[in-house]
Amino acid sequence: MRDKRMVLFGFVRGAAAIALALAVGAIFIFLSSDEPFTALRYLLIGPFVSYHGGVTAFNTQNFYQVLAAMIPTIFTGLAVCVMFSANQFNLAAESCVLVGGFVGSLIGIYVNMTTGWHAVVCVLVASVVCGLIMLIPSVLKVKLGASEMVTSLMLNFVLLYIVLHFLNYHFADRSKGATMTFPFLESAKIPSIVPGNSKLTWGFVIAIIVSLLVWIFMYRTRWGYAIRMIGINESFSLYSGMNVGGTIILSSVIGGLLSGMGGSLEVLGRYNTFVWRELPGYGWTGVTIAILAKNNPGAVPLAAFFLAYLNKGCQLMSTHSDVPSEMIDIIQAAIFLFFAAEQFLSGFRQKLVVKTTREELMRTESLTATEGE
Amino acid sequence: MFEQLIQSIFQADFLFIIIRITAPILFAALAAVISEKAGVANIGLEGMMMITALFGFLFAYWTQSWIIGVLGAMFVGILLGLMMGFFSFKLKTDIILSGIAVNMLGAGGTIFLLNMFTGLRGNTGALVSPNILIPTIDIPLIDKIPILGEILSGHAILTYLAFIFVFLMRIFLYRTPLGLKIRAVGENPNAASSVGVSVIKMKYIAIAMSGALAGLGGAFMSMYYSQGWNQGMVAGRGFIALAAQAMGRGEPVGAMFSSLLFGLAQAMKTKVSGLRGMASYNYLIEMIPYVVTIVGLVFYAMSIKRKARKHQLRPIK
Repeated sequence: MRDKRMVLFGFVRGAAAIALALAVGAIFIFLSSDEPFTALRYLLIGPFVSYHGGVTAFNTQNFYQVLAAMIPTIFTGLAVCVMFSANQFNLAAESCVLVGGFVGSLIGIYVNMTTGWHAVVCVLVASVVCGLIMLIPSVLKVKLGASEMVTSLMLNFVLLYIVLHFLNYHFADRSKGATMTFPFLESAKIPSIVPGNSKLTWGFVIAIIVSLLVWIFMYRTRWGYAIRMIGINESFSLYSGMNVGGTIILSSVIGGLLSGMGGSLEVLGRYNTFVWRELPGYGWTGVTIAILAKNNPGAVPLAAFFLAYLNKGCQLMSTHSDVPSEMIDIIQAAIFLFFAAEQFLSGFRQKLVVKTTREELMRTESLTATEGE
Repeated sequence: MFEQLIQSIFQADFLFIIIRITAPILFAALAAVISEKAGVANIGLEGMMMITALFGFLFAYWTQSWIIGVLGAMFVGILLGLMMGFFSFKLKTDIILSGIAVNMLGAGGTIFLLNMFTGLRGNTGALVSPNILIPTIDIPLIDKIPILGEILSGHAILTYLAFIFVFLMRIFLYRTPLGLKIRAVGENPNAASSVGVSVIKMKYIAIAMSGALAGLGGAFMSMYYSQGWNQGMVAGRGFIALAAQAMGRGEPVGAMFSSLLFGLAQAMKTKVSGLRGMASYNYLIEMIPYVVTIVGLVFYAMSIKRKARKHQLRPIK
């Protein structure tokens, strides 16, 4: 009885937080736009419903595009989940996506292999490289106590400039106007699973499978348990004999592996050549997803879907109305603040608890009363 | 090449540039110091600087007065600090997460707000005029001294303010009752609360002050340093300031020296990239300040650990 109500409360609370965030977004739309209703329509239902001469229809291509946009963010969401579960505020997933994409691209361009294995090798090497990169902040944290948050933030910039250096001066295709690498070999590209231009590749299927695997890892294995226990109470874990340092490093390396995988799958699936010239921002979206999923890998695809939908809505809104697409950041920040707020609607929860307890008391009283007779 | 480098470094204007580059980092580092003293990790400094830089510039533009712009930036900074405080102290959002939320507002939200208020996209280049930029001042007497005058005189008013604030902050933290209370809250909230100090109130005061200082840093960026607001303007200075705070052991004077170190790294970056034959290393040079930050943090952490070992203590996790 109590559990059921609390679960329901959890859903209501989450929905209220999201609704409030969207309301904040709507206020800004009404403040800034001359055509607020058009803007809102595109934001909220634009991604799936298309209008053609007054006829509304389900827009399959847009739907595929939303799913395709989930590929990198599911991976960064999972990465952040694993790291935050161990209470590591490691924010280097952002640059690991970039490095993963870059390393995957280089192998996809310069290493000649048979079809089928080529893409797999690209993705695996990219993942391993990013896993190794994550050793920097985590080992510094464990061995020296240097704040992983600050080191990882700095690492984002360092890695960005290293990638830009190699992209510009070692691997650039000088025959093109813009800075880009040579095109990927066909064998390295991640194939699409649907016809059309939506870029919904096998990466999506892999992302869903990996979410499942990470869930199993976190909730059904000893290492996952250790990671979560360290997040809940580090001292307890230390004194009960867990290898705290090693587990923290493990969680960060897994975070790196996952972000590198996401980056390479995204680049090899979406583009023909490596074109990123700045941090792609998927790491920060991953943080939002991890918050929405409450660090539960099983809920990550759902949260990623929600954000991808919102993002698509914002893009459509900026194309079809006068509201800039950066609106997404305001909505995301609001979701962040309300969703992560433990005390949000706490008064309501308090009432709910009191009510449930009262009912239970009355029931036990009437039970003892009948027994007494 | 190195001769060139050394020639360009041993000049008065190089030291002048270091001071100029250090000022905004110093404001942000002081903002990090005050909030950290109250036990509040303000990771939102980057976003705070972006937002206050925008509003400082807009207030200055609307009123055509740089003073109002600076005050407006501080005011918006205080509001942002209180907002973070409300969500973190009242609604119990993790302070790191409220910081990240502010950073998101700073990254994309500012572009949206700029568009909403002015219809411009990406930067305010079109609105700049001399009377909304922070003026520079020559210090009488000192500007007559040959080399020293060139280095110390002719900076923006806020530059001097940044360095004055280092010492004001020190006095505030160690010589006033309020400073004592803030430090007590940061060191042991339970002990502070047991002698009747309101922990929440002290934290609110600290993060509001942090916001005001970040506002000064933001105003300095948009109204002096880059002469107008643009999207990539703050470029990680808020994060560097967090590192400066950590490296400076959380003390105002220490934070000043580590800020100067980052200022030096940034200034070196501009000097080295100007040299012949270095053009194709521009991106690697670009990353110097961030590498210096990581190395600095490592040395700081090592020194703490060594000290802990000397006192036969376990390192503090």
